[in-house]
Amino acid sequence: MTGLLDAILVMLILTSFLLLGSSRLGACIRIGALQGIMVGLIPVAASGADITARILAIGAAIIGLKGFVFPRLLTWALRDSDTSSELKPFVGYTASLLAGIASLVASFWLASKLDLAAGASSQLVVPVAFSMMMTGLFLIVARRLAVNQVIGYLVIENGIYVFGLAVARDVPVLVELGVLMDVFVAVFVMGIAIYRINREFDHIDSDQLTTLRG
Amino acid sequence: MPMSSSGIVIALLILAPALLVGAAFLASSSRAVIRLCAWGTAAVAAVAAYALWMVFTTGPLFAAGTWLMLDALSAYHLGVMMLVFLLSGFYSVSYFRREIEENIFPRKMARRYGGLWFGSLTAMITVLVSNNLGVMWVGIEATTLLTAFLICIHVTPGSLEAMWKYLLMCSVGVAVAFTGTLLIAASTAAGSQLTHALLWTHLLQGAAGLNPFLIKAGFIFLVIGYGTKVGLAPMHSWLPDAHSQAPAPVSAIFSGFLLNTALYCILRCLPLVEAATGNTGWGREILVVFGLLSILVAAIFIVAQHDIKRLLAYHSVEHLGIIAVGVGIGGIGVWAALFHVFNHSVCKALSFFCAGTLGQVCGTHDMRRMTGILRSSPVWGGGLIGSLLALIGTAPFALFMSEFLILKAALDGKAYATAVLFLTGLAIVFVGALRHVIPVAWGPETSPRVYGRASATETALVCVPLVALLVLGLWLPAILIDVLNRAAGLLGGGL
Repeated sequence: MTGLLDAILVMLILTSFLLLGSSRLGACIRIGALQGIMVGLIPVAASGADITARILAIGAAIIGLKGFVFPRLLTWALRDSDTSSELKPFVGYTASLLAGIASLVASFWLASKLDLAAGASSQLVVPVAFSMMMTGLFLIVARRLAVNQVIGYLVIENGIYVFGLAVARDVPVLVELGVLMDVFVAVFVMGIAIYRINREFDHIDSDQLTTLRG
Repeated sequence: MPMSSSGIVIALLILAPALLVGAAFLASSSRAVIRLCAWGTAAVAAVAAYALWMVFTTGPLFAAGTWLMLDALSAYHLGVMMLVFLLSGFYSVSYFRREIEENIFPRKMARRYGGLWFGSLTAMITVLVSNNLGVMWVGIEATTLLTAFLICIHVTPGSLEAMWKYLLMCSVGVAVAFTGTLLIAASTAAGSQLTHALLWTHLLQGAAGLNPFLIKAGFIFLVIGYGTKVGLAPMHSWLPDAHSQAPAPVSAIFSGFLLNTALYCILRCLPLVEAATGNTGWGREILVVFGLLSILVAAIFIVAQHDIKRLLAYHSVEHLGIIAVGVGIGGIGVWAALFHVFNHSVCKALSFFCAGTLGQVCGTHDMRRMTGILRSSPVWGGGLIGSLLALIGTAPFALFMSEFLILKAALDGKAYATAVLFLTGLAIVFVGALRHVIPVAWGPETSPRVYGRASATETALVCVPLVALLVLGLWLPAILIDVLNRAAGLLGGGL
């Protein structure tokens, strides 16, 4: 079912672009959730007819965590904050979108240079994965708000997951679950951190975290 | 050695600290938690000592199929780690006693501290005993998450800032390392059992047949990713913040072994890369470059540093760089680098203990306001000055010996450029740090406060490591030489 897989991959790119162009935190969290659900559908779509219980279970776990648990956590972390949107990011939204396009072009070029997609069922997998990793990194660097940086981290994670599907489809299930658990704890810990930073500083602007230098 | 007994030892190594996490949450008072940290760590260290003995008398231990393994390299690291944890565990009794007396360390906070303490111990042991690169990665990420809250056990704006930087930088770095792990798994020939593609022993067996291009790409990702956690320049910027904001026993663990755990993961993959690229030294050169860069960058920051804990943090960047250079040079350099792992970990733990206690007493970590400490506190002051002198490579401490051997290895290998840069970095560090150390030691006493007399345990805690470093600089027991030789053998080096 390459058609379905390609459609999901295109959706992943579109959600990354939406994240680059959105300023409202609520919208960013929801777009991140949508992207998580798409990522969870990939293993199911990629396996097509020979689907197994294991793939279904992993897919369900990813959708549950990235689509529902993480957004809840981040919303919870923000519950006492008055910040609802990122007003002055380091890089403006138009420039961010242009950077996103540039990273997409670079990813396609890079993927054509590297011959990695031997095991992948779609030619789009590797470039999409690269582009998501770059977009995530860009979000972390270019945004001031801690929540947006966490979303950037999740986009990187999603990209790596897609990449993993392309290069090594049979990662042992125990490792896969371990990775998923780590990501879960990471977001959990970051959520608590945001909540505390918020209480301590009365803002969640990580740009203000600059007293330690040199 | 029957399979089952080695399985039990390794399982016990992971389970014992995991159970102690639960015990920490049941402890009745802050004092009890801290005592549990000390004696619980001692119990785990006893198990580790038995495991070490088994490895060095009968060979590698395997457990859980071949997913868990303890060989000479990991056993050596395990030994050093348990030593650092043991020292820090007993030091925390002394450190937190002051805080408990001042009522700033309530039971809830102590329980959290104890739980995270044993949690991070479990995670680090998991990294060391795993034969599966994926499990190793899971362990490293777990150490990041567990230690993050140890930094801000006392919530202050500074500690929150340090924790956020640490959490974000290391999570992203470690995510990059996962990409590297995937690339290494992908480098196995198509059609081979992918379930085994992450097992280190399996990869090493077929290392000559690995796709060199993919494994090179994978190694670069691993060095950058795990390197963030090691604190190799230019990915080190989280490190001074985290080290300076954490409580001293935690700083000691961070600097003494958390960084080494991440470096261990890079070292694990080095033999694979070397074998896959036909032993041309491609992977080693990368380590040399990052190592030299770390030494030089750290040297510059050391010259301009006034905060004692940040100074020590930059020393960590420098020394982890030295270890990377040593392994990168190969041959006797690998042996010396592994020896340096021990020296640096012990010395750095000691210096953080002294800096932590002096910081508590002086109420500051600014070296300009804690001068003349040799007179006001002979034990802690003497420990700090002694360990700082050892850290900057004063002869005849063991750190000088290992650094000298690395230099010798570089000259023997005709790597003159490396040797020159290495020496330049060390010279800047020596002069730069000495400029700070002299007033701190002998300057006019700035704080007229009365230092509490150090107890016998505290005196022992300071003197034993310092004397050990001095003795090891002059004389090496044959057993240590042999252990180091076997560990270095796995990295393609040795005496």
